[in-house]
Parts: sequence; C-alpha cells; structure tokens
Amino acid sequence: MTGKRTWWHTPVAIGLTAVMLFPIYWMINVSFTRGQDMRKSPPNWFPVHGTLDGYRAVLDQQLPYLGTSVVVGLGTVALTLILSAPAGYAMAKLRPAGGGVLSFVLLIAQMIPGVIMAMGFYAIYLAVGVVNTVPGLILADSTIAVPFGVLVFTAFMSGIPEELVEAAEIDGAGYLRTFWSIVLPLSRNAIVTVSLFAFLWAWSDFVFASTLDQGGDHQPITLGIYHYIGNNNQEWNAIMATAVVASIPATVLLLAAQRYVTAGVTAGAIKE
Amino acid sequence: MDHTTRRRARQQWAAWAFLAPVVVYLIVFYAYPLYRNLDLSLHDYTVRSFVQGGARFTGLDNYRAVLHDPSFAPALLHTAVFTLTSLAFQFAIGMALAVFFRQRFRLSGTLRALFLVPWLLPLIVSASTWSWMLNSDSGVVNSVLHTLGLSPINWLTSPSWSLASVTIANIWIGIPFNLVLLHSGLESIPANIEEAAALDGARPWQRFWWITFPLLRPVSAITLLLGLIYTLKVFDIIWIMTRGGPADSSTTLATWSYRLGFGNLLPAFSPGATVGNLLIVLALIFGLIYIRAQRRQNQP
Amino acid sequence: MKRSLARRILFVSLVAVTAAGSAVGCSRSKTKAGAAEAGSFTIWDPYPQFDASSGWVQLLNKCGSDAGVTIKRTGFDTSDLTNKTLLAAQQANSPDVLIVDNPVVSTLAEAGVLTTTDEAKLDTSAAQPNLLAAGQLGGKTYGVPIGANTLALYYNKAVLQAAGVDVASVKDWASLTDALAKVTAAGKKGITFSAIGTEEGSFQFLPWFWGAGASLTALDSPQAVSALTLWVGWLTKGYAPNSVINNTQTTSWQEFATGQYAFAENGTWQLGNAKKAGFEYGIIPIPGIQGGTAPAPTGGEFVTIPVQKATERYATSAKLVACLTSTDNSYTTDTTLSYVAPTSAVQAKQVAAAPELKVWVDAVQAAKGRTSDNLGTKYPRISQPLWTAMQAALSGSKPAQDALTAAQATAAAAAK
Repeated sequence: MTGKRTWWHTPVAIGLTAVMLFPIYWMINVSFTRGQDMRKSPPNWFPVHGTLDGYRAVLDQQLPYLGTSVVVGLGTVALTLILSAPAGYAMAKLRPAGGGVLSFVLLIAQMIPGVIMAMGFYAIYLAVGVVNTVPGLILADSTIAVPFGVLVFTAFMSGIPEELVEAAEIDGAGYLRTFWSIVLPLSRNAIVTVSLFAFLWAWSDFVFASTLDQGGDHQPITLGIYHYIGNNNQEWNAIMATAVVASIPATVLLLAAQRYVTAGVTAGAIKE
Repeated sequence: MDHTTRRRARQQWAAWAFLAPVVVYLIVFYAYPLYRNLDLSLHDYTVRSFVQGGARFTGLDNYRAVLHDPSFAPALLHTAVFTLTSLAFQFAIGMALAVFFRQRFRLSGTLRALFLVPWLLPLIVSASTWSWMLNSDSGVVNSVLHTLGLSPINWLTSPSWSLASVTIANIWIGIPFNLVLLHSGLESIPANIEEAAALDGARPWQRFWWITFPLLRPVSAITLLLGLIYTLKVFDIIWIMTRGGPADSSTTLATWSYRLGFGNLLPAFSPGATVGNLLIVLALIFGLIYIRAQRRQNQP
Repeated sequence: MKRSLARRILFVSLVAVTAAGSAVGCSRSKTKAGAAEAGSFTIWDPYPQFDASSGWVQLLNKCGSDAGVTIKRTGFDTSDLTNKTLLAAQQANSPDVLIVDNPVVSTLAEAGVLTTTDEAKLDTSAAQPNLLAAGQLGGKTYGVPIGANTLALYYNKAVLQAAGVDVASVKDWASLTDALAKVTAAGKKGITFSAIGTEEGSFQFLPWFWGAGASLTALDSPQAVSALTLWVGWLTKGYAPNSVINNTQTTSWQEFATGQYAFAENGTWQLGNAKKAGFEYGIIPIPGIQGGTAPAPTGGEFVTIPVQKATERYATSAKLVACLTSTDNSYTTDTTLSYVAPTSAVQAKQVAAAPELKVWVDAVQAAKGRTSDNLGTKYPRISQPLWTAMQAALSGSKPAQDALTAAQATAAAAAK
C-alpha cells in the first residue's frame, strides 16, 4: 500500500493545503497592511510598507481575552465529554427503550438557531445568576457540542464488537466498569473527534458570548475583537491581527491532538 | 426466561441512568428556547409587548403572513440552492481529501490538522476575509482575473453572482467538518478487507466504490445529515458578506429570519421567530427521512 | 450486585443534578441582593473601541465618583445595542444610563424602556432643537444628545488640481457630475460613498434625497427618483466604483485614503483619519440639486435613562447624565469622539480651538433628524424599503422608478 508511487503525495498535499489556506494567508497580509493601502487596486500580494500597529494593539490588549478563550474552550471540551460519552455508551450498547425518540430529539436540538437559544438562556441565566460568568459561558457553549457528541459517540461505540462487551460481563464487570475500562479506551477516535469540534465551536462562538458574557470581567476573544469595531470606524489590520494571534495557540493544540489520534489508531486497532 | 427479563430490565435501568444527565440537560437548555420561539411566533410581539408583556395571541396568522410574503419563495429557493450545492461540494471534496490523506505519507498528519485552521477563526474574520478577496475593485480574485485577461466579476454586488459567492465561502468553511468525520470513519474500517480485495485484483477506484464507500455509509449518512442541519442554520457568512443582498438575491430563510428579528432598526420578533420555526420544520422533515432510512437499513 | 450498581448510578446523577440546582439557587438569592447594591450603577454605551484606560471610561468613572457611586460600564456593538436593551428590559435588567444611537431612541421610547426627561428631571434647554428632535416622540423628550455628527464631501486637492477642477465651482449636482467626468477623464476615480443594504446606506443617501426636495413619506416622488438616478448614473458612467453597493462608511473611507479618489462622502468622525491620510484634503458641504446646502441627517447618540423598578435611582442617574453633558465635559467628550457639540456654547468653543470645524458646525446646524417630522418609529419601516430600492437600482436589477415605487408600496403597507 505504501512505498511505490507515493513520492508525489506530499507535494500534492502541500499544494492542496496551500489553496485551502490561501484566505488565511490573505488575512495575515491584511493584518500587516497600512490604512491607506487597504483598498488599493490592484491589491498588494505582500504587505510592502507594512505596519505593526495592528499587532502592537493586539499584544497590548488582547492577551487576557485569549486566556479566557482557552479556559472556555477546554472547559467546554470537558463538560461535553462528561455529558455525551456515557450517553453514547447507553444508546449504543444498552439499547434503551425510547432510544430512537432520544436520537430524534437530539437531531431537533441542533436545528435551533443559536440566536434563539441565546435569548432563551438570557432569561434562565439572569434568574439563576450566572450571566456574565465564565462557567455560564462554558455551559452555553457546550449546548453547541453535546447533541453532536452523543450522536458521534453512539455511532462509534456501536462499532465496538459485542463479544468484547459480553466477555467483560461474563468476567463480572458491571455497566460502569465496562464503560470505563473497555468501551472508553476503544473510543479514542470518537473522543478526539468530539473534543476537537467542541473546542473549535467554543473557540469561535460569538452569539452566546455576546448575549451572556458581554458585561463580564472575563470575555473571550470573539468579544475582544469588538475593541476594533467602533461605532463609526473599524481598524481592520488590528481585527485581522487579533484573528492571527488568536489562531496560534489553537493551531498548536490542534497539531498536538492529531498526533495523538495517529498514535491511538495504530496502538488500538481492533483485530477481527 | 425470567432471568432474561430481569437482565433486560436491569439494562434499561442502567441505560437511563447513564442518559439521565443528558435528558435533564436537553429539557432545560433546548426545550425552553424552543418554547419561547414558538410563543413568539404565535403572538404579535411589538417592541412594546416584548418588553411589557401582553402580546396579542394571533394563532397561525404570522405563518400565513410569512408564507404569502413575496420574499418567501425566493428565500426558499435560495436556501435550497445554497444548501444542496454547499453539501454536494463539501462532501465530495471532504471525501476526496479524506481518502487522499488516509495514505500515510510524510506530513499527512500535520497537513490534515492544518486543514482545520479555517474553523479556528471567528466567522466575522473568515467572512470578512472572503469579502475582501471578492471585492469588485480591490479584491485579489478580480485582480487575478484581470491578469488572466478576463473581465472582472462583481462577486458581491451583482444579483447574479451574490449567491454563488456566499456558497463558495460556505463550502470552504464546511470542508474541515466533512474531512474530519469522513477521515475518522475511514480509519475505523479495517485495512485487511481492502487488502483482500486488492489481492483479488480490484483496482483502487473499484475498491473505493464497492467496498470502502458502502462500509462508510453510516458515517456518510450522519455527516450529510448534520451538514444539512448546520448549513440550513448558516447566516453569519451571508450576512457579513452581502447582508442577503443586493435586492434579496442572496437571502435565505436563515438570513431573512435574522434580518426580521435583529438586522434592522425596528425588531420584528414575531415574523423572525416564525421564519425560524419554518426553518426548523424543514430540517425536521429531513431528519425524519434520515430516521426512516436508518430503520429500513437496520431491518434484516 | 449489578442491579444495585445501576441504581447507584441513577441515584448519584439525581443527587448531582439536585446539588447543582441548589448551589445555583443559593447564588440566585445572593445575586438578587447584589443587584440592589446601592453603590453600583451600570452604564451601557455603543463605543466598544474604548477600553478601561480610555478618556471616555475615565470620564464615566469621574462622573460616578462625583455622584458618590461606582460605575460598571459595558461597551456594545452599536447595531446590537437595541436588541440587547429590549431583552434586558424584558427581564427587568436595564442599565441605569443608556447611550444609544439617535434613530433608535423613538423605538425604545415606544417600547416603554426609557423615561422622559420630565420624569428623570433632566435639563434639555441648551440642546439645539433640530438635534433634540430625534429623541422626541409624541411631544415628549426621551434623552439628551451627547453630540452630533453629519455628512459632507471630503475632496483630494491634488486629484482635483490634476484634473483641472476648481472646487469652488462645485455648487450643485450638475457641476459635481461635471467635475467627476473631468476627474475620470484624467485617469483617477470620481467619488466614493456607502450604499450598503443597512441603515448606513440610507444615512448616506439622505442628503441627496432631501437635497432633491424629496420627503420620506413619498419615496416614489419625481424628486426621489432624480436623486437615485444621480447615483445610478455615476455608477454606470464609472464615476463611482461598483463596490459602493457593499461599502460601509469605513470601507468607503479606505478607498478615499488610497489617494485615487477625488471625492468621498463621509462624516465628522473621519477628521482624525483625514489628518493621517498623507495628502491634502478639503471639505465642502453636500450640494443640493439646484445649489445651496443639502440637509444632511444627524448622527450621534443620546444619553437616556431607562425605566427602573427602583425609581429612587433616577436622581443619581440624572446626576450622571448631567455630568456627561455638562459644558466642560461635553467639550472633552465631543473632541474625543470627533463629534460636534449639541449646544451653541460648546460649538463656539470647538470652533475657537479648531477653525476647520466651522464647516461641520454649520452642517450640523442645517441637519435634520431621521426620526423627526414626527416619523418616530415609522422611520425604520421607511428606511428599509429605501435601502432595498437603492440596492436594486444600483445593482441594475430594477430601474430607479420601479424600485422606488415598490419601496413606497412596502413602506406604506408597513406603516399602517
């Protein structure tokens, strides 16, 4: 399978990635552009007469926002996994009566537009007192990922052979033990997939942050960007610089996570 | 017999014990906003009654008004075109990339991770970047067309091109989702099945079409269904790039709902909620089709 | 054995949920008490570009300490602020002082979110009547203007000189179009503005609309059609770029800042950027169709006091508002925001310190509120069909007359 005609794979892959990431390059280009060159026609492919103003502003002001975003992202991942992995196990392996209805409800849950959810949460959060807090935001962001997480865990866990589960039962393990020691380790793929999406969705969420954490002391980066979106003027190089700086830690996390997936797959392959 | 029944009962108990947190979560966090949205659409909420209460109950009047509105048919059409085109391209490109990246060549893992970077960006940034690139006068795409000797296209300002432009941007944003899910699905297919087919003399395309693709059906189905639901909800990209214009040429049900409720100086919450509910109904129909297909597949 | 384990799990989950619920319930009672804390007043404003270290926030804090309270300030995106305010008002969570864009004041007033200036005992006698009109509904005033801005034509001296155009000759629409023709023939670009499908587009169109003698209650009048035809003509002849259809006012300014354009229609708030532009610029008022100055719409925010259950808070809120709009503070605030002051006394001070502001002060005195003429909440219902018509005509999907006739039909139906 590998070896023979694979020398061209890497250059082609690099080419495809370059095409896909071209808008990102453009974003970086704009982040270094001066005000008067922003709408130059034809545009500069490379920021000649570049300016560091955008980055200076970002590094001065946005680092606390970045920190909050990281906390919110990781918190959302944790909460999503805690809620959805056991539920996926139950749906896949324990065949609850009414499981089909629950699946359907989970699908409907994802159809509700974010703005409607946010408006509904506002009332609940005010009553309960968690508006403008980070845990409140984590809870809200998890609603983006939990139904998806349950569906993904259900799908992946259904693929775990029944024999392994039955063998554990014969050995005397209860459902919790089976879940923790057998099913979960084999679901590494699903765990990484769900974590990835939960983190990315929480990182780029704006609607919940804007409605539920606008007055808070700790705000995520999606709100921090609004520093540069004034009521009359927008500073585009600073906005793009914020996005670039915000992408760096998340990209690092992504690259680290994918290495773990590869290791997990080769280590935990199920042999028939 | 008695033992089996007890065992099944025990299993049900355990199943619902594991599911209890999610069920509570669903009721608190999804049922309430849904109820509020329904409530908004069944009354006539002016700004005054939104704040003070006492909105007039209007039953299905809002729905009738929305269905008869001249903007409804174009919005529905645009939604269909936008969603189906986005899905088709996102899925096909995602699948092609997933298959390509499955072969473990140098840097495949790193490059595959880099494909997810578009998802890190807040939508205001990615949509704005696409706006900049597609600007009629200072955009890089038109300057490339100019160098190639072609006439520039008014990507965002022409009624004929606005829907295409937002679709392209949406496809770009949707590729990572399809790539990750399909790749994970591919990784779960044991390699020995395909190896056996290769030994039997099957060519790569035949192996893919007759063995890999059918085995990928459950993951493909869920990817398409979720992709459909998420694409139906998309409004940020369109809103930031064209605001649904010019002249409603890129207005979908989602942007129309947003414009009614939040996108103008005088919020019209009831019509906005009504259009939002129609969107949910549309997604529901597809969800039902999916469940029906699943059930048929699971029957022997 | 196994049955009890399953039951154990169920029990634990229920306990966890109950525990969470009661913990959260405890914090609820704590927060209710906290909100009634006498010392903290909330201020919401639409200036997210100002953070805690800025002059604006320091002014808010100073006014707060003068009134004996601490200030909790949040800056919102201006297009979001209306909805956030309505949502908050519904949940009885309104801020104590709300600074909001002027065309929205009548909407909030109609929703019963704002107190009148009589109720809150605010003094509005010094504000100029045309500026105050935007905040009035049904004979009552609902806030105090913090400052005003309006639109005029910036021009690039070098570009006009190279094209042989004398800016003093640009007095009406015909001479303006002539100038644009000359500039385009000389290889530069004519004019840039914002015709985007949002309130910004209507805002930029109104000087031409009103300058032709049209009125917002009759969008399909011949005067209105002539205004839209002017813009469509510029686009088809290439005097204005196609991107105006999607331009915000910022984007339009960026185009002007490249130095390739002769004219840009933009506002007072760009003065700071104009000085940084790197070329010599000038300002002329927007001409009317046959000459004279076209009435431009007023921009700028109002300081308002939302309705509260605890009406004893109004006294302190009024002190905060008075502090923000007092003569000295008004001068500092309006200089920071690049606004023109709403009172003649402070306007004189501004002109004395910076004589180039005279053009803007005159423009503001001739300006009109968008919601004045008793349009109030009818204005949003007229503005939206108007910008839709502009977009349809400029993008070529409908001729100007048809677009405006359709707009008038929509506006009339919506206003019922």
